[in-house]
Order: sequence, then structure tokens, then C-alpha cells
Amino acid sequence: MAATLSRGTWLASAVIALGLLLPSLTQQGARIVTVGLALLILLPVLRVMLMLVAFLRARDFPLTAVAVLVLAIIGLSLAVGSLSAHHRF
Amino acid sequence: MNGPFELWLFIVALGASALGGTLGMASGIFIVPILTVFGHVNIHIAIAAGIASVIACSCAGAAPMLKARLTNVRLAIVLEIATTLGALTGVVVSGLVSTPILCMVFATILVLSAWQMLTRRRDPPANIPARRPRSWTGLNLDSTYPDRALGQEVDYRVDRLPLGMGLMYGAGLISALLGIGSGVLKIPAMDTALRLPIKVSSATSNFMIGVTAAASAGAYFVRGDMVPHIAGPVALGSVLGALLGARTLMAIPTEKLRLLFVTVLLALALQMLLAAFGVVRVQGAA
Repeated sequence: MAATLSRGTWLASAVIALGLLLPSLTQQGARIVTVGLALLILLPVLRVMLMLVAFLRARDFPLTAVAVLVLAIIGLSLAVGSLSAHHRF
Repeated sequence: MNGPFELWLFIVALGASALGGTLGMASGIFIVPILTVFGHVNIHIAIAAGIASVIACSCAGAAPMLKARLTNVRLAIVLEIATTLGALTGVVVSGLVSTPILCMVFATILVLSAWQMLTRRRDPPANIPARRPRSWTGLNLDSTYPDRALGQEVDYRVDRLPLGMGLMYGAGLISALLGIGSGVLKIPAMDTALRLPIKVSSATSNFMIGVTAAASAGAYFVRGDMVPHIAGPVALGSVLGALLGARTLMAIPTEKLRLLFVTVLLALALQMLLAAFGVVRVQGAA
């Protein structure tokens, strides 16, 4: 898991860096940075998903349920955010 | 990188994360006030940038601790139920609370963090009560960790989980509301309420901070508060800073670092307090 996370962080940073090297005044630069930020936010979520798979494999059903619950709460949080959204993508 | 402002953001994030990284802290607590008060960034956008930096620091710092087998991953995920619920609440609250109150809460947390920096942490006593709490033994959270100093594996128990969950809910709420890592609340909670060994609570807390932050970061992202030309440089600076900080961990004397931190935290607390009373201007609700 540690390896995936490190690689993921580097990837997300690379994307953000790329977006910032381009003139950030342009639409393209901003969009790439946005993608990079989205990737960064997804990393911890990915972490939880990996844990879910690991628990499932180990047949640890209580903790699998816990992982599902955490993902559901994060999803709910996203939904709440979209309710008060004041920008469009 | 385009523009002096983006560069300034990058440098601030780098410095804050490097400093934070040396003590295992995330940098949101420095970044948000600095951006708001000195950068004149709208507070909600600053908070979104702060939470992005928290994720960056958490990811950068997680790998070595996982390798050292200090992180109690099972406990982390159970506690994350509470922290993410708290984060959800924080997201809702942040839309309702006025800017002066937000600054006031910030000032309070800054002072709390400074105080927490100065107090020593203690490992729990070695003799654990024989009587075990019933409802969560099914989750199998107790574990061991390798203690380098003693050169062996040390058993520990997880105690008083409901109290810990309650505190984690609060920590998640504050984290989302202010855009910080909330280690200031999580670590004492894990040290004292759950009675974990210091190294385990640090490692586990760091692990959890990222997930908690993701819950609010996702909401702020979707909401549109994550402005690319602000959150971008901050996130980038944070990744590099956190990596840098972790590496220089050994080199700098801890006491001097602590004093530096306390000074900066109190200075920022003062600024936020002034902001709350309108003496210093802070850009508020969008």
C-alpha cells in the first residue's frame, strides 16, 4: 500500500506541476491543475478502497463494513458540497 | 509557475510543510491564516487550499510510518467513521458560520496547538487492566508495535473507544471547518482517551488525517472553493515541503523547533483574533 501511495502522490504532484508550468492564465493550465488536485483528493479515498479489498480478502466482514461506511460518508460529503456549489466545471 | 503570487504561495506552503514535517504536523494551521491575513485570500478559498495541503502532507508522510509498522490501520478506519462524519458536519457548518466567528475559532485552535506543543506526551502505563470492554473486542483492534528503543515488540490495548470516537468527531469537524489537519485534537485524544503509545498515535493520526481531509476537500472541490491557481501552488509546495521536512527530521534540535512553532502559532492567533474583531481585514463569505 505504501508504494501505491507514494507513486500516487508523485503522479498527482506531477500533474499539478505540469499545469503550473504552463501559463496559468490560460484555461488549459487551470484545468490541468484542477485534475491534479482531484487526483490528490482521491488518494486517501483510494487508500480506503485498498483497505476494503484487504479486509474482504481476509474475510473480516465487520471491518469491510466499516470501510464501506467511511466511503459512503465521503460520498455524502461530496453530495453536500455539490448542493452549495457556486461554480461550474 | 506564473506570477509572483503563485510563487509566494508555493514558498509559504513549502516552508510551513517543511516545518510541520519535522514535528509530524500538517501545515494547514499555518497556511490558512497566512493566506487569509497576509495574502488577502478569501477565507473559504484559503481553507480549501489548506485542506489540500493537509492531504499532500499526509500522503507524503504516510509511507515511512507504514513501513515502520507503527500505524494501527484497523483502528484508523474505525475512527475514520467518526472523523468523516465530523468533516461532513464541518462542511455544512462552514457554509453557515460568519467569518468573524471562523476567525475566533481559528485563534482558539491556534492557542490550543501552541499549548499542546509545550506539554510533554507520555506513554500509557505498562500494566493494562485485566477487565476488557466487551463491545469492540470483535473488531480486534489491540495490537503490537516494534519499539526500537526496547528492541522488541510491545503489546498495547485500545481503551475507551466511545470517548475516542466522540473526540474524533470533533476533530473531524474542526479539520473541515478550518482547513487544518487537527492533529492538535487527534493526538491528545489518542494518547489520553484511547491510551495508545505515543508513536502509534502519531502514526495512526497521520494516516487518518488524509482520509478526514479528503471528505471535506472533496466537498470544497465540488463546491468550487478549490481555486487552481491558489490551491495548486499550495499543494505542490506542501508535497515538497513535507518530504523535505521528513528528511531533516533528525538534524534540528526539537526544543528550538517547538519554541519556533509556539511563537508562530501565537503570532497567527493574535492576527486571527484581530481579524475576528475587524482590526485586521479578512475576506469573508463568497
